[in-house]
Amino acid sequence: MSTARPPANSALVELKGVSVVFGGKVRALDDVTLTIAQGDIVGLVGESGSGKTTLCRAIVGLTLASSGEVRLNGKSVAGQLTTNPLAFRRQVQMLLQDAVASLSPRMTIGRALHEPIAIHSLPREEASSRLQAILKRLGLQADVLVKFPHQISGGQARRVGVARALVMQPQVIIADEPTAGLDVSVQGELLNLLLDLQQEFGLTYLLVSHNLNVIRRVTARTAVMYLGQIVEEAPTRELFDKPAHPYSAALLSTNPAIDPAHRTRRIVLKGEIPSVVNPPSGCRFHTRCPVAQARCSSDSPPLTDISPERKVRCHFPFTLDPARRPPSADEDH
Amino acid sequence: MSQANLATTTALVRIRGLKLEASTQRGTAHILRGVDLDIGRGRILGVVGESGSGKSSLASCLLRLLPSNITHLGGQRRVRRHDLLKLDDTTIAGWRGKRIAMIFQDPMTALNPLFTVATHLVDVLHRRHPGISRQDALGRARAALVSVGIADADLRLAAYPHQLSGGMRQRVMIAMALLVEPDLLVADEPTTALDATVEAQIVDLFEGLRSKFSGSIVFISHHLGLVAQLCDDLCVMYGGTVVETGPVAEVLSKPQHPYTQALLACEIDSDAQGGRLVSIPGEVQDPVAPHMACVFAPRCAQADARCRATVPALQACGAQRTVACVRYGELG
Repeated sequence: MSTARPPANSALVELKGVSVVFGGKVRALDDVTLTIAQGDIVGLVGESGSGKTTLCRAIVGLTLASSGEVRLNGKSVAGQLTTNPLAFRRQVQMLLQDAVASLSPRMTIGRALHEPIAIHSLPREEASSRLQAILKRLGLQADVLVKFPHQISGGQARRVGVARALVMQPQVIIADEPTAGLDVSVQGELLNLLLDLQQEFGLTYLLVSHNLNVIRRVTARTAVMYLGQIVEEAPTRELFDKPAHPYSAALLSTNPAIDPAHRTRRIVLKGEIPSVVNPPSGCRFHTRCPVAQARCSSDSPPLTDISPERKVRCHFPFTLDPARRPPSADEDH
Repeated sequence: MSQANLATTTALVRIRGLKLEASTQRGTAHILRGVDLDIGRGRILGVVGESGSGKSSLASCLLRLLPSNITHLGGQRRVRRHDLLKLDDTTIAGWRGKRIAMIFQDPMTALNPLFTVATHLVDVLHRRHPGISRQDALGRARAALVSVGIADADLRLAAYPHQLSGGMRQRVMIAMALLVEPDLLVADEPTTALDATVEAQIVDLFEGLRSKFSGSIVFISHHLGLVAQLCDDLCVMYGGTVVETGPVAEVLSKPQHPYTQALLACEIDSDAQGGRLVSIPGEVQDPVAPHMACVFAPRCAQADARCRATVPALQACGAQRTVACVRYGELG
């Protein structure tokens, strides 16, 4: 049943110049290029309205790209959805942000977990025994199966969501805010579980989170989004140590640390995130950027490689040789 | 009830043995199980705790805004020598918006969609200063918007709430609270609904307000990092009780209560990559369960027989610090 997995480090999910336009006006995604390698954990950060959820939906095929292409295993997602949608959906599963709301209130947990097996006409015996093994692995007791969603805790609902995704034996799991709304005392448990499952099942993750500490700890690479564009993509550690894009620098500086020794000077941006209906000209960040130059308001910077591992969409990234940077950009970063 | 050795001499609010119970279908829920707390004059007190710890209920008690299924409210809450519990409804209603103000968690629903920003602000001023002229009130309202960092104040005064962004609405809420010039300002998770860069702006605003605002602030949050940066004092709550209090920096650098220690261990707050993440096993105690022992004992790695048999009282543990743990002193 399960297909042979591609070798590690080969591109599993590729987005090439993907734009998503709603109603002809709202450019929710604008020229997004991102590659997720097999076995990687990639983090996605950005504020609300930056396009994180639209990007997730584009990968799982719930939203189709207006231009550009999304590929899974080298094959176009749009093509796979027309030829064999069920086979495609088995490969890419999504953990939804609100785990309780994603379960039907009128179905017991057991029914909700068996439903995908029926929809995908999986061999019943095999799928059922796999489900049992997964439930055991996730620490969900059998009595959970007869309960309704309102009778289980938030942590349990999230594990039910994970079980429902795993029974399809996916290659990629898109996790949209998996720890949002969970208390600090239990989020570690869920993240440990997700990391263990990644090893055991050879999974690839795209992890969306507002929690920068979670992204920093769990992911290998991170993409930062602003107004529908990826403004920086880098190995997580390099990004947190030395952000190249002024927006990344500001976003990361807002993360309050408990230990005074870890605190950095907070960069407070002017204003608020503009509307995607009418985005600023040139670089979309120039209206709030502390180091914007004249050129930034007219010229849109492309996503450029600044090292083999890093890409940034900025005319004057902080990693640039200081001699080539304009004087006002010369802040202490 | 032991006397908590907080900044008692300068306390604006003094809470002793505050209990809050509500009747539910499953029985009586113990929402607050005897809270002792002092709020120092002119200080910012951070209240942290996980969901269900009673943070917001404590805030509601401070304003006495409580739902109708409350069956028992006991203990003492003194503000300037008045016991809030003994005030009649008319008197306490008169305090709200004059001596006590609150900033709610969700700025989207806290403003009335039918009225402009100016109406909201002027209403607050009319209540606070009866007889104020409309011109004067509008002038002050405009100044308040400027002080919370709203550009184009004249334009915004005429705007309706739906025309403002989330951050802007929260600024309007803060401006309303400041116009009251309250002795006590209660801010219940004021930045939780906001985006990271906007949250940074609001936190910056709170820091800037410290010099202008003479009252005390209770800042409720589940975000330890935020509280660590903004507040003077810290109160850690768990299961409807206060487990530890003290100056922020000291509590966070040398936590005494096992729950505070466990909570800090769960924070992912370092460069360390790899390794297991820490969590606290078990679940928060059911509020319907009777209060016979330490509420944290079922999840505490250091609990012994005494913890399961006695309710720990809040005891002094060093200058201006208190902890509610029977094993305090034994545990290194």
